[in-house]
Amino acid sequence: MIMQKSHAEQLDALSAALPSQIGIWTAEPKDRMYDRETIFRYIDGAGEVYRAYNMRSCLSRRYTSPNAPAIVLDIFDMGTSEDAFGVFTHDRDGRAVDVGQGALYRPGWLSFWKGRFFVSIYIEEETEGAKEAISDLSRVVASLIKDRGPKPGLLLKLPPEGLQSRSIRYLHHHTLLNYHFYLADENILNLGQQTDAVLAVYQRSGKRAHLLLVSYPNVEEAAEAHKTLLHHYLPEAESTGAVVVEDGKWSATGRKNKFLTVILEADTRPLAENLLREVLAAL
Amino acid sequence: MEAGKKVITRRDFIRVGSCLTMGSLMGLPLIGSVSAKKSEKSRVVLIRDKNVLDSRGQLSESVLQNMLDRAMTALTDTPDPVSAWKQLVTPADIVGIKTNVWHHLPTPEPLEVAILNHLLDAGVKKENISADDRGVLQDSVFQRSTALINVRPMRTHHWSGLGTLLKNYIMFVPNPWMYHGNSCEKLGAIWQLPHVVGKTRLNILVMLTPLFHGAGPHHFSSRYMWPYSGLIVSRDPVAADATGARIIQAKRNIFFGSEKPISPPALHIAAANTRFGLGNSRADQIQLIRLGWEEDILI
Repeated sequence: MIMQKSHAEQLDALSAALPSQIGIWTAEPKDRMYDRETIFRYIDGAGEVYRAYNMRSCLSRRYTSPNAPAIVLDIFDMGTSEDAFGVFTHDRDGRAVDVGQGALYRPGWLSFWKGRFFVSIYIEEETEGAKEAISDLSRVVASLIKDRGPKPGLLLKLPPEGLQSRSIRYLHHHTLLNYHFYLADENILNLGQQTDAVLAVYQRSGKRAHLLLVSYPNVEEAAEAHKTLLHHYLPEAESTGAVVVEDGKWSATGRKNKFLTVILEADTRPLAENLLREVLAAL
Repeated sequence: MEAGKKVITRRDFIRVGSCLTMGSLMGLPLIGSVSAKKSEKSRVVLIRDKNVLDSRGQLSESVLQNMLDRAMTALTDTPDPVSAWKQLVTPADIVGIKTNVWHHLPTPEPLEVAILNHLLDAGVKKENISADDRGVLQDSVFQRSTALINVRPMRTHHWSGLGTLLKNYIMFVPNPWMYHGNSCEKLGAIWQLPHVVGKTRLNILVMLTPLFHGAGPHHFSSRYMWPYSGLIVSRDPVAADATGARIIQAKRNIFFGSEKPISPPALHIAAANTRFGLGNSRADQIQLIRLGWEEDILI
């Protein structure tokens, strides 16, 4: 994990290095900074997403022009590259573009991650000039972030065959798991700040399944979560292994050391069982 | 997690195929016991006027006032606005106007002023009226309130799919994040809290420039707004929201050129009907009165 804070990459240093002009857009005189508490004042309910990924601070700069809508640059310091990647995976719509360590473009909004930073650039009304400015600005910001960082190591445990890479979500919290895949109203997997989880979709021979892999701080916590999962979600699994659930799809779960995995909504029993076997073998 | 605690899982939803029996699973009141009156159709007034916004998007206060007045008389079957508002409140009422301050798309101030003036016309004392959003739990009028007027613009929303009238009451709880699970499906529970239940006299869903899609941290782009130039007015928040949701869905389908479901799905609207008994979400249980401009009405 990249935890050390290179002075050159502090948000205030980035602020000083950012361009004051992009095309016809000029930076407003003062940047705004937000922390974990004040972020809600800035971006309303979605601030919870960034907090759930351990956001440390956020720098916001507006570029304005008398003849065009404002461009809003937000740079989130997520503390680690793993969490910068994680928040990037929260919304995976869009066209991939070559900026930073991963970037997506949707009309009016470009996001990318690099090192421990997640960067969002958006414009309230897209024009050709604005698209070009967003692209230019994204490259400048990416160049100012010197250090790259690793993706979460947990991703390396995922079986490669049939993995839909654009479906990968890295997260810590129950609320975010439920946002992407509703499992239960209570936190039956005991997810939280100390747990790392990956949710991904697999497709093999036209059959689909979801795979959830969670890493707990220790074996005891993983065992306890597994017990709770079996009790509340898959009580049949202890005797039958894979379980056919109410919609005719298959689920299976297993634990190895501090890792817990669940196969969800697999189209067939073999797909559920194969995925489970493969991921357990990789742990 | 507490041992023995009842947990509602994905499998429960699949099993029942809808939210219909979830109320009993959660220990919540069953539909019939809390809302026998909902066997009747809910009246919803949709009024539009293309002149409420000019070509630059500037709001005409007089046109907006006129829209509200027409909608209110149609909703209440009364001959004039004062009579309409007198059906909703009495001079003894203490009234909180629950607005929404989201800076990209707030409740229009002229609408707040119009509501305030109508409440005064109906005899409510000025000191017994307050308009607020994020401060409702600290606002002394809201704390003493006997009546609520709920007014907000319709928009898509990161957690709940849609920012609705139902969603607008999330500021009545100190811990809004507790309601974010499963696309905020449990929002209806807020309407059953002691300081909220039974107080809402009117719901106004502002459809002047709705936001039908969003992305990114700010969930906003003017690209995804359009001048629908409407208001949806009802005593039933669920029916008003369901009507607005159908319009938003229709707009998304047209804009994106194919079926583009609201994402995440706005489960809380149907749940407010089937699980919390707050009103009617089904189109066949809504008496929709259309007034004014009909072009591109989408419903």
